[in-house]
Amino acid sequence: MRATLKSLALSCALGASLASAQTCPTRASWPTDEWPVNLVDATARAAPIKALEDFAFTLVGTDAERKGFRTDGLVIIKNGVLVYERYGRGHDATKRHISWSVAKSFSSALVGIAVREGALTLDDSICKHLPEYEGTAQCAITVKDAITFGTALGWQEEYENASYQVSSVIAMLYGAGHRDQLKHILTHKLVAEPGKRWSYSTGDAELASALAKRALAKAHGKDVFWKLLFEPIGMKRVVFEEDVLGTPLGGSMVFATPREFAKFGFLFMNDGCWNGARIMPEGWVASSVTPSDVFTATAPDTEDTPSGYSWWLNKASPARNKPKPWADLPDDTYAALGHWGQRIIVVPSEDLVVVRTGDDREGSIDVNELTKLSLAVTR
Amino acid sequence: MKKTMLALFTLAALGGCADPNGTPRTFANSDLELAVGNAARMGCSCLFVMEMPEAYCRAWVKASPDVAKLSFDVANKRVESSSFVSFAATARYVDEKRGCILE
Repeated sequence: MRATLKSLALSCALGASLASAQTCPTRASWPTDEWPVNLVDATARAAPIKALEDFAFTLVGTDAERKGFRTDGLVIIKNGVLVYERYGRGHDATKRHISWSVAKSFSSALVGIAVREGALTLDDSICKHLPEYEGTAQCAITVKDAITFGTALGWQEEYENASYQVSSVIAMLYGAGHRDQLKHILTHKLVAEPGKRWSYSTGDAELASALAKRALAKAHGKDVFWKLLFEPIGMKRVVFEEDVLGTPLGGSMVFATPREFAKFGFLFMNDGCWNGARIMPEGWVASSVTPSDVFTATAPDTEDTPSGYSWWLNKASPARNKPKPWADLPDDTYAALGHWGQRIIVVPSEDLVVVRTGDDREGSIDVNELTKLSLAVTR
Repeated sequence: MKKTMLALFTLAALGGCADPNGTPRTFANSDLELAVGNAARMGCSCLFVMEMPEAYCRAWVKASPDVAKLSFDVANKRVESSSFVSFAATARYVDEKRGCILE
């Protein structure tokens, strides 16, 4: 009897698993070549469009003063269709834009693809894929730590507004660490047990992209990011910069057009599937947009926005006594966020993707207001 | 003279590292050296990857301290920057997938 029940339970589990594995969202069309375009009626929607554009495109002072929100591109995708698009400050639909830390969400996705390919697991020590660091204390870091800001390396995430000399980021990109950025990252000492300390880090994300490349390039070659991610979803002109040794700069240096960035958001909104094919492994998107254990347990009280696999989430944190960070947006909203106001915002319950590129040098554009005003344009 | 200037810049840079929360690690590059690296690297990506005009890119990469010289070699897809105390950096465009690298 017990054997029969066990067999039945196993059959049910397998059945559920197979059904789930076969389930990818269906769409009327997929924007692999181009987004279908059906712009909102500018007359009928004049008021919400004006509110959005007043917020995002009103320049303050002279260009040299670098004040206010300086939007370079804004694209809204609703129900799989491009419904709004505007550019500013010399940018247009053909021009790539820097991602800054939006790149971190790409890096975690590339780790996910490596998991799908069986090239690594989240529990692997990083040294399994970076054997030159075998024997170091940093081997206690796992792949999962790298995509959840949980390496516990003593990284100092500072930018141009702090003293340059205390910035691990500036030293890596422009200073002593720039030629071998992986070495720069991994010569930071552990300041806690990996997986037990959340700290936002461009070094962690770049480590993640290096792990994905090392794991995948053996079977797929050095262009593996394009082969397994960018080309299948039609990010035809994306640039992913590297250091001189070929380490991808996965914390900051992805360049793409706003329309292309929107395809990455659309991939995640469709559970990591694209036109019936599973790009991200099953369950990856759900895990990516769930607050990580290391965030929930150890993030500092000053951090209001939970993170998953390098995505930022509109989730309340009862254990941390925090409300959801974007009060006017649905709970299922998540975003890839970058310096100077780069944003890919995904709202699955509204079938909405918003991409905003910009050059905000004094405070980045607010996700809540930007998305709320974008939603109003589409209604 | 050059060494004295370099030492002064380095000391000035390290002098700005006090942190009320502790003693952070400091990196050995001076502000000017980092600004030169930033200008070359980001200037290259701006011109050859983002494909923005040279004037836009000069403004986009501007940081403090400002570098003394920023040269865009469009024919060879290279960007060089330098300061008056001998720091210099070069970034070059690699290809359509990998954009620019700082040499």
